[in-house]
Amino acid sequence: MKECRIGVYICMCGTNIAKIIDVEAVAKFASELPNVVLAKTYKYMCSNPGQEMISHDIKANGLNRIVVAACSPNMHERTFRRALRSAGLNQYLLEMANIREQCSWVHSDPAEATEKAKALVYAAILRVELHEELESISADMCPNTMVIGGGIAGMTAALELADAGYTVYLVERNDHLGGNLARVDLTAPYLYSARDLLTERITRINANKNIHLFLQSKVTTLTGYVGNFRAVIKSAGTDSGKKDNLEKEVEIGNVVVCTGYKEFDASRIVHYGYGKLPNVITSFEFEKMLRAGKIETREGKTPRYVAIIHCVGSRSQEFHTYCSRVCCMTALKYAHEIKSALPECYVSDVYIDMHAFGKGHEDFYRSSSAAKTLFLMYEKGDRPVIHKAGPKDDCEMLIEVNEKLSGEVIEIPADIVILMVGMEAREDSYEVARIVNISQDKDGWFIESHPKLEPVATTTDGVFIAGTCVAPKDIPDTVAQARAAAARILARIAKEKIEIDALYSEVNPNLCSGCRLCNQLCPYNAIEFIEEKKQSHVISALCKGCGVCVAACPSSAIKGRHFTDQQILAQVDGLLAI
Amino acid sequence: MAIRVNPTFINELDRYGAEDVQLCYQCGDCSTVCPHADEVYRFPRKSMKLLQMGLEQKLETTLEPWLCYYCGQCSEQCPREADPGETMMSIRRWLISRYDFTGIARLFYKSRTAEVLAIIIVALITGTFLLLNGFSGGSIKVYDGEGAFLPSNFIHRFDLSVGAIMLVFLAINAFRMWKMVMVRGTSFHIPWWLYVREFYQIIWHFFTQKRYSECEKKRGHALYMPWLIHLGLMLGYVTMLVLVMVFIENLQAGPEIQWKVHIFGYLATIGLISGTVYFIRGRFKKHYIQYKKSHGTDWVFVILLFLIVTTGITQHIFHRTGLIELANVTYVLHLMSAVPWLLRMPFSKWAHLIYRPLAMYFAAIRKEALTRQASVQNLYPLVVK
Repeated sequence: MKECRIGVYICMCGTNIAKIIDVEAVAKFASELPNVVLAKTYKYMCSNPGQEMISHDIKANGLNRIVVAACSPNMHERTFRRALRSAGLNQYLLEMANIREQCSWVHSDPAEATEKAKALVYAAILRVELHEELESISADMCPNTMVIGGGIAGMTAALELADAGYTVYLVERNDHLGGNLARVDLTAPYLYSARDLLTERITRINANKNIHLFLQSKVTTLTGYVGNFRAVIKSAGTDSGKKDNLEKEVEIGNVVVCTGYKEFDASRIVHYGYGKLPNVITSFEFEKMLRAGKIETREGKTPRYVAIIHCVGSRSQEFHTYCSRVCCMTALKYAHEIKSALPECYVSDVYIDMHAFGKGHEDFYRSSSAAKTLFLMYEKGDRPVIHKAGPKDDCEMLIEVNEKLSGEVIEIPADIVILMVGMEAREDSYEVARIVNISQDKDGWFIESHPKLEPVATTTDGVFIAGTCVAPKDIPDTVAQARAAAARILARIAKEKIEIDALYSEVNPNLCSGCRLCNQLCPYNAIEFIEEKKQSHVISALCKGCGVCVAACPSSAIKGRHFTDQQILAQVDGLLAI
Repeated sequence: MAIRVNPTFINELDRYGAEDVQLCYQCGDCSTVCPHADEVYRFPRKSMKLLQMGLEQKLETTLEPWLCYYCGQCSEQCPREADPGETMMSIRRWLISRYDFTGIARLFYKSRTAEVLAIIIVALITGTFLLLNGFSGGSIKVYDGEGAFLPSNFIHRFDLSVGAIMLVFLAINAFRMWKMVMVRGTSFHIPWWLYVREFYQIIWHFFTQKRYSECEKKRGHALYMPWLIHLGLMLGYVTMLVLVMVFIENLQAGPEIQWKVHIFGYLATIGLISGTVYFIRGRFKKHYIQYKKSHGTDWVFVILLFLIVTTGITQHIFHRTGLIELANVTYVLHLMSAVPWLLRMPFSKWAHLIYRPLAMYFAAIRKEALTRQASVQNLYPLVVK
């Protein structure tokens, strides 16, 4: 092995580090250690002059290992790796010691903090001596995409990709496209017809040769890794009488999951009487009336009073704690549609809070108020109760509400009660999550890779999520997510190859006994079992280098690249040496 | 027991001027900015909610509308332009019609035609009666004393009878107000001695309108205007009413100026003329938010008062300058506008002269009784149900 020539760089981070830690003392300490050629301090190591200093020293002094004692590697490891590359050194011959977040920011005694910084630097020096030159790998990116779900999100993503010239396999469980939006009449707040929004999309999908549409179908398996997936799509026979279950295997590079939501089952809230009182209906049943153009009670009478109850199944401890986001505006839309169809009808809106957060929503709320919709607030834990009206009353039902804003217990006449049922994850979402290997939160929604910065990516590379399968959202947000997922995929297809980080684990075939313990433990499904050899094998493209398999392997057959046992033990030695 | 909401009530109140109350979304900005709203009397927000829900029985037993002097700061602040100030004003109009047992107030508020017609009819009857009486026993050329066209002792009797009629209606309505508010509308016990202890409130609020000055004080208006002008108008009116009812014979004597009574008359006239001119101008110019919207009855109120004042002044000048015939003619015109005014009083905006101090009195009693009860039961915060 070549002689180690280590350069140590101590950053002051302005005063962030230097005001607690005596950086000169740390540099002096480091410079006296074996194999250390030089140790320097600098005001801002991450600045361009700082980086240039490192590259220059590598060339001038023949350095072949670099230790940077500065901030967290999350912050600047990429920066310093670039400095190494620019000097022609392999980027993995770098080790960072975190003396800011883990030292200067959390300690107040300068003497002890300086000692701890020395220990951290010593650990990094001992570790870096054992670093190996590693190369990242690349794989081909298959330009085909599979979109699961044919609602507004799935159709939008499919069209976006197909219009760019790539093949899309669009898989829909039902015998028609449109999803939940196909059950809606008008949309809030601009009152566009949902039918118009959908027909344009459906016509374009049917005409697009790049889109292979699979109706009454579902994905049964997904194997492989980003850029190189294989999926099996199972279709129920569409011809009558023929019961053939067609199976088709497709090659794809990416997957978009847009499986949508289902509505909350209103009969779970017993005292709303859904299913018992004939004129208590859900919002989707009311949409059906609106689409048929006839608002009437079960008995065929024109209603004089309509009451709308918000947050059915949403924002409660017993059912779902989250807000379903679309119900408030939908309720206002009903008020609008009822008033325009039946001007003599009185609409009461029984709500917890009015969430009118989006573009045009507040104006829409105001116009509902102007049309004399009666808004009544109830306390979260104190739900309204629906009774059947007596024979003397001029209405079908009476709703008893403890009205929060006035403090009065009141009753509202109603001929029709509309329950604004919230959104919840579909029953089959668990099955979908298992097949495409993504996770779900406690409510069953699919989890994004980062809620703010990666809203459509998942922890499984190559699998994207969009629309209401992620969380309740309205049409504009759903469409935006679908297009975002498509844009992410198009960017990857354009690169043709996919870079895979060198930090993955490897199985030493000479040591693996084929116990398959690691296969079950891997959180990324990155370990496959090769039947012929009776041995496990890590698919490097899927491995994230988490190290679970390394720790679990009873035969120590698995090595985590860049995190070998020797490297970690050397680091521990360094920490304990001071 | 749950109270039934009445979604049609909001349309009814529309006629009284509450045109924008449906826009209220209960943010409570109005109550925050109001100098008079407190933890017991939570207006305008709560009054607006009761109105929206159409809880008539609740609303008619509340005193909150009378605690508001309509400075309009709430309406300026309202993010939804629901006009809480005008809504409170409209509820006062509606309350006047609820206190009134005859239904006349309701008719006048809902139909401007009916109101104007009634005024004209009463004016014509008054005019005919006075003319017939004048020509039967006197001469148009004589103003006072023997053979006078309208002898002062006859006018005295006439005034007293008109005043008595007015007083009867007003007393009955005030009694109805007490019963609605303090008996039907109060679920807790009120000790009788509180009525005695708080009685000074009536006189205090009647003569100072201190709470009105607090509104304008908060606004930083010079001399707390329009509070001062309103106080001047009210004091002028009351002084004049006393002069007419009690001292009419001294008032009518002449042609020399009777300084002992006329000095009060002149002072009262200054208050009346400046008040009416100020408010008419305000309603035309709409420079304060409380004059932005004028109900028909508001116009009738100021215009009729202005007529009474101007005919009174003219008649006084004619008499003192020896133009007896013209003095007698303007006297008839003066009475033709004053009698409908007085008879209309229990059914109109002018009744607030009585209702408002009464409401302050009741409100103080109610709050005191509630605080005592709350301290006994250790209830907090205080809630008027």
